[in-house]
Amino acid sequence: MDIENIGFETINLGHGSGGELTRNLLDKIIFKTFSNPFLDQKHDGSIVKIEGEIAISTDSFVITPIFFKGGNIGSLAVHGTVNDVAMCGAIPKYLSLAFIVEEGLKVSEFIKIVQSVKKAADESGVLIITGDTKVVERGKGDKIFINTTGFGAVHAKATISVNNIKEGDKILVNGFIAQHGMAIMSEREGLEFESTIESDSTNLNFLVTDLLDAFGDKIKLFRDPTRGGLGTVLHEIANDINKGIFIKEIYIPLEKQVAAACEMLGLDPMYVANEGVFLVIVDPSIEQEVLALMRNHKKGKNAALIGEFTNEHPNKVVMQSLIGGKRIVSPLVGEQLPRIC
Amino acid sequence: MLKTYKITISGQVQGVGFRPHVYSLAHKFNLKGNVSNNEEGVIIFISGAENTVYKFYKKLLQFPPPVSLIKESSIIEIDIRNFEDFKIIPSNKNRPLNLPLTPDFAICEDCKKEIETVDNRRYNYAFTTCVNCGPRWSITKTFPFERTHTSIDDFPMCDTCKNEYTNPNNRRFHSQTNTCSTCGINLILISSEGKKIKTSKEKIFQKIVQLLKEGNIIAIKNTSGYLLCCNAENESVIQKLRTTKNRPNKPFAVLFPSLAFLKNELDLNTNEVKSLTSKERPITIISSKNYYGKIALNKVSPGLNQLGVMLPYSGILQLLANQLNFPIIATSGNIHGSPIINENEDALDKLKNITDYFLQHNLKITHPQDDSVIKFSYKFQQEVLFRRSRGFAPNYLNVKINSTEKIMALGADLKSSIAFYPNQCLYVSQYIGNLENFDVYNRFISTINSFINIFEQEPNVILADKHPSYYSSRFGKEIAQKNNIKLLEIQHHKAHFTAILGEHNLWSEKVLGIVFDGTGYGDDSNIWGGEFFNYEKNTIERIHHLSYFDWLLGDKMSKEPRISLLSLASLEMHEILSEKFTKNELKTYQNLKKSNTLKTSSIGRLFDAVASLLNITDYNSYEGEAAILLENSIDSYKLNTCKSYLNSTESGISAREIIQNMFTDIKNGVSKEKCILNFLFTLADSILKIAKQTDYKHIAFSGGVFQNTTLVDLLLKLAPKEIKLYFHTDLPPNDENISFGQLMYYLNIK
Ligand SMILES: [Fe+3]
Ligand SMILES: [Mg+2]
Ligand SMILES: [Zn+2]
Ligand SMILES: [Zn+2]
Repeated sequence: MDIENIGFETINLGHGSGGELTRNLLDKIIFKTFSNPFLDQKHDGSIVKIEGEIAISTDSFVITPIFFKGGNIGSLAVHGTVNDVAMCGAIPKYLSLAFIVEEGLKVSEFIKIVQSVKKAADESGVLIITGDTKVVERGKGDKIFINTTGFGAVHAKATISVNNIKEGDKILVNGFIAQHGMAIMSEREGLEFESTIESDSTNLNFLVTDLLDAFGDKIKLFRDPTRGGLGTVLHEIANDINKGIFIKEIYIPLEKQVAAACEMLGLDPMYVANEGVFLVIVDPSIEQEVLALMRNHKKGKNAALIGEFTNEHPNKVVMQSLIGGKRIVSPLVGEQLPRIC
Repeated sequence: MLKTYKITISGQVQGVGFRPHVYSLAHKFNLKGNVSNNEEGVIIFISGAENTVYKFYKKLLQFPPPVSLIKESSIIEIDIRNFEDFKIIPSNKNRPLNLPLTPDFAICEDCKKEIETVDNRRYNYAFTTCVNCGPRWSITKTFPFERTHTSIDDFPMCDTCKNEYTNPNNRRFHSQTNTCSTCGINLILISSEGKKIKTSKEKIFQKIVQLLKEGNIIAIKNTSGYLLCCNAENESVIQKLRTTKNRPNKPFAVLFPSLAFLKNELDLNTNEVKSLTSKERPITIISSKNYYGKIALNKVSPGLNQLGVMLPYSGILQLLANQLNFPIIATSGNIHGSPIINENEDALDKLKNITDYFLQHNLKITHPQDDSVIKFSYKFQQEVLFRRSRGFAPNYLNVKINSTEKIMALGADLKSSIAFYPNQCLYVSQYIGNLENFDVYNRFISTINSFINIFEQEPNVILADKHPSYYSSRFGKEIAQKNNIKLLEIQHHKAHFTAILGEHNLWSEKVLGIVFDGTGYGDDSNIWGGEFFNYEKNTIERIHHLSYFDWLLGDKMSKEPRISLLSLASLEMHEILSEKFTKNELKTYQNLKKSNTLKTSSIGRLFDAVASLLNITDYNSYEGEAAILLENSIDSYKLNTCKSYLNSTESGISAREIIQNMFTDIKNGVSKEKCILNFLFTLADSILKIAKQTDYKHIAFSGGVFQNTTLVDLLLKLAPKEIKLYFHTDLPPNDENISFGQLMYYLNIK
């Protein structure tokens, strides 16, 4: 979609004042991009119809750099929230969208972000139904912050709850881990590799729906290991239900280039952020079928079974490591502090 | 006139033949009464003429059994009692234990002679022990030390053994670990596939030696855990062991057949001989500069001019040694990073890809221990413990504590140990290992549980390191919360400092504390490691530190000395750096440096930077490798030619200035050896300058850096007479002393 020349190059405080300039920005960029019957009401809010139980999830997105390989803050803001709704076992349908723009952001960048939001929303099958835009003084923000809230009806066959997890339940992951975090790091630190590392940021809702259609209550839990990475999320789950998790490093999908980047920066991929990765915990009776379904789906081509629940070491995630020996995967505390002498 | 007395003796007095010793002494003096063990130590009731009893008492204290250690004793007169004779009465325990445990003892000369004598009934019996020798802590299940409280209890004594046990004139009178080949422990030799190798009992060690000679690796279950052994003269088998054990460079210890054999191949001084033949019998690190033998030195301790040697300390190793005409590698039986293995099944499972054969037996090891390691500094013969384990653990006798609390200190993570104060004695566990490994972590937990069970005391205070990601601290938080007990997190280097203050009981002095090590989580959230503390009147204050530099790349920095150099390098060193890093790495790391916020004062990393700058190593394949290689690059030195790389210490020690000045030296063609010496001199000189500035009379040293015995010697040499220096001798200077330090901190610091 083309956006006609709107007559200014950077966004300034006036655009957030609520007056003429604001109207201009909204009409020419936001409404034009997202035009749909709900938004077009131009009301204080939107009135929508959703039947049954609904899942709601909100997230704020702050990231440096705002543009990176494989996406930008706009697409991320959609995927992040769409996936959070999907992880509840729901089918995301609507999204709210709020921008906090720092004075000085280039209009062309803003447009690019808005268009990414649109594209990601379309691909995820969600509508932007309400929103907000504020501008803050220079230095009071970091180019742009986005908040999105997602809404969707819970899948009819879903019974997602950590409390359904039993000893022996299997843990699968849909694909390569640590890609998003390493893409951001590479961009930020100017890392060069043979091919570029791209963020895995993507919507996972259709694969989730397929899994629920096929396996219903045999699926115990979905979880997306975003901030803190796979290690932190596994630890959280183990602690929530007072069970142990045993995983094997050799099974964890890790792309070579990403592994090399992690090694170069002294980072443990288990703690690096993901945006297109999710864990699914299933009854052991269906592990192979789940794996097959995932591998046949374009968002799960590299799916793998990485481990299982055990009563042996409650609250602890233990990993059989590649070099032999087992180690405890503990949650990340702040940054990755050196532990060895 | 007849009088009756009660004598109480506490200390390391159980499992050391104390009661039988008292028994025969009482008989010699013709005194009547009885002797028993209880939860406090040994209790003697004795009747006789006053001066005879006192003579007896004096003699007992003057000449106690060889492996006992008396801590306290008392004699009081009580109401007259008439005894028929003198008796040993069985242990009697009414309260939880309150006395030292008993460490393992190396095989004594008498037992050694017996197993070597053809017509002796213990000829070739590998588990021959007596009141003066044998495993103790290794097989302890509960206490007091009675047969039924150890895993020897699985082997009921035959009649002959029972006779020895009950005969007051026998050396094995009341020897709790008494067994023989009829009633005792069995050895079997099996292949790595678990197939039994046929040999007669008498020929088993001959067979093993033949297999070793042929280039096989053999896992030997000793009395304190598995050892991996191979011919130390065979380069290729050592390389094979390195590869399969995943241990590229870390030196291996070598077991020599005998002291005579060892003396033939290496020069030993009296301290080294004493240590090698002591009842603790640790691995002793000696100089290998004048080595005359055929050991594949460069495979055994690559790049080093020192060698860790030991002599047989168990019946098994002695019988093996008697057949050997070459030294063998004897290293802890485990895979890299895992704890020493003690169970047969576990060994078969984990070592089958490393070893060709297993020598197994059916004695259960309840407290597996690695071999202890010790070194003496070259000039001043300062004793430095590198690892405190078999022979030393688990007693810590050299401290007086008065507290009614039951305190458990969890130590640090990398060289884990536990200190426990459940009663009036302090116990410091053997070296446990790096808790990152789950099997080590489990051993850490089982050691804690074992202490709690033996003393029947739950801790009501937990002490842990301040590091938020230490496994030990995490565990501390968990149990403190679960049991609703007090938890105190103590800063790593302060714990090091209180460890050395506690070891030398310096609480009433004003002391300068020098704590140099690799890493520790600081009070300001930075990574400390080059710390100067003031101790005075139960308070500690950080007064100086190595100037901060960037801590980059997490744990990777500790593994790659080149990164420490990068962190400290000036622009002038670009050329050197570009040889050590790819363009991409260099660009990235320099970028990271700009935005980095985590700082460090680690001396360990300064050593790393020096090693990298001097092209000694850019990568550490084991902890402290760079520092060890550095120390090894020095042959001999003259102090008067040393200079400091620092102009002033007014504002602390600047790591950058040291590196910059060394760089200038290198450019000017100064030799590597000279640079290292100047560096060590710089450290010693600045410490002493700082001490003089504030007129300190006492300087106490702790932290892994003080395993560098050249630095220790330099300090001893340079220190003026009026300043007293204190180094660790009971505990290693490394993180193994943190648990003890935490306890000392809790009890002494406001
Ligand atoms: Fe330390
Ligand atoms: Mg969220
Ligand atoms: Zn003996
Ligand atoms: Zn017997």
